[in-house]
Amino acid sequence: MHKWLAMVRASWLVGTSYRIAMLTSLGSLVVTVIPVYFIAHALQPLMAKTIQSQGGEYFGFVLIGIVTFMFLGLAVNSLPGVIRGSVSSGTLEAYLTTPTRLSTVLAGAVSYDFLWSFARALILIATGAALGAHIAWGKSLAAVGILGLIVLAYLPFGIFGAALMLWFRTTGPLPKAVIGLSGFLGGVYYPTHVIPSWLHSVSAALPLTYGLRALRRVLLEGAPLASVAMDLGILTSFVVVLCALSVLTFTLALRDARRTGSLAQY
Amino acid sequence: MIATATSTVAAGIARGDRERDVVVHVDALVKRFAVRRGWKAMLRHPRAKEYATALSGVSFEVARGEFFGLLGENGAGKTTLFKVLASLVTPDAGTVTVHGFDVVRDSERVRRLLAPVIADERSLNWRLSARENLRLFAALHDLRGAARDQRVCELLELTGIADTGDKMVGQFSSGMKQRLLIARALLSRPSVLLLDEPTRSLDPLGARRFREFLREEIVARQGCTVLIATHKAEEALELCNRVAILDRGVVRAVGTPEELSRRIVGERYRLWTLDPSHPALVALEARGVIHVMERGERDEDGWTPLQLEIPGGPRVASEVLAHMASAGVTVSSFERGRLPLAELIERIVESRGQESARA
Repeated sequence: MHKWLAMVRASWLVGTSYRIAMLTSLGSLVVTVIPVYFIAHALQPLMAKTIQSQGGEYFGFVLIGIVTFMFLGLAVNSLPGVIRGSVSSGTLEAYLTTPTRLSTVLAGAVSYDFLWSFARALILIATGAALGAHIAWGKSLAAVGILGLIVLAYLPFGIFGAALMLWFRTTGPLPKAVIGLSGFLGGVYYPTHVIPSWLHSVSAALPLTYGLRALRRVLLEGAPLASVAMDLGILTSFVVVLCALSVLTFTLALRDARRTGSLAQY
Repeated sequence: MIATATSTVAAGIARGDRERDVVVHVDALVKRFAVRRGWKAMLRHPRAKEYATALSGVSFEVARGEFFGLLGENGAGKTTLFKVLASLVTPDAGTVTVHGFDVVRDSERVRRLLAPVIADERSLNWRLSARENLRLFAALHDLRGAARDQRVCELLELTGIADTGDKMVGQFSSGMKQRLLIARALLSRPSVLLLDEPTRSLDPLGARRFREFLREEIVARQGCTVLIATHKAEEALELCNRVAILDRGVVRAVGTPEELSRRIVGERYRLWTLDPSHPALVALEARGVIHVMERGERDEDGWTPLQLEIPGGPRVASEVLAHMASAGVTVSSFERGRLPLAELIERIVESRGQESARA
């Protein structure tokens, strides 16, 4: 735990050394949320019926979608980014010469980004609430849990990407494909039942579809967790299967990288 | 942490290092890397693979407290050998142990005992201060709390960067970054330190100071066993007790520079004479008893210095001197010299190259 904390602390110090970037990162939230508020209000009459089971209010609906999508992008991109950066700078090699497991190093290296995004997400939702979005604050803890499951379901794609990065020094189209498909067919901006029927099977294969539906019902409608148990069950299955496969793939890639000596060759 | 490292060492010795003083043991180490092929070759033979041998049957031992040099040209296999020792690269064959622990099977224990100084400055976090860089790696080495802070302060002092410890590393000079890299490697009080061309980015003065620091502080005071890979012969000569000469993945020779010189090319002598072209000298050279390596400028008194190589050891050299005296060669001085290490390496590599060509 102290190793993980040390990694997070170092990332925090690096993050705060880029003061302008930090301020911009917070300032961009306002730029995001205000146009979304107006657009959502303009689209409310059109969307109200289709999102009736998920809060019925389009501003809150899309706000949750945007926040979740932010975490999804992070889950898919952060690990390959850390591998790429640390391999090319030589820090990965330096970390691997310490008696610290690679999983701890990688967890520490990406955690700060998640914590920072979590803080940004809180500001975004609080701003949304101040602008009139109905948030069931009492269900915050459950919502964080569901968000955590969504992240865990998408983190394996990041682990697959990291393995590809070790093998081929590129993730190929994997992150863009996962993020693109999830963005369009996972229910970020509109509920999945409005997409053409022939795309429903693709939508059903995306963890985001189940995660977002459950998250919105809990956080916007204040529904109990039991009422979204089916969605959470499917989401958990994704987590278990994808995590196992991705960890196995990454282990093979790391073994190969040690054999070929490519850990520090960019 | 010190206790952990000590008990780990003790356990390693108990595990069967018969020679108590042998810290690093490399036996018949082989490492090959797949060669990157062109598109044409890949399309013609998609499943075929070509390999380049980086290390071929490398064997040597390093004793406790020794300063051991790995010498060789670029591409000789020095860095690969270090990466195997640091458990960053898995060997294809052979065994490598550090204090009796296998670098593949017991890699975590090896990492507590052996620290490579990664010479690449970019492996430091340039947006953090030197102190924060060390704090991070101290935590990764299981140091925490007051012990961690104390160790970080000690190392900043030891490496002479305490005054600038809170300055961002991006503002450091190359020399200071090298010192910080050393400090980082010393965090866990390793018993073995690996240095891969540590002075490559330093100016001559900085490099000299750095070598002094290594000799006086790291080996003499800290008691580390040091393996240094370098292609600078003078660096190895100044620092190392013994050297191994690596050539295209093969250890060509191991020993002290003097031993190697004696073994490979015999002894060198410096002779001052009034008769550099004396028939007795010419005859000795023609018979191959002596080789005149260099003829210096005649001084104002008429004495000429000659660099002689006399294979066969001290007895042959004394016979040569006696022969010159009896033949009337005027000699004012005859003293033993030493073959420059750079030349020695060249000779070893050349001689082995010729041997393998004949084979």
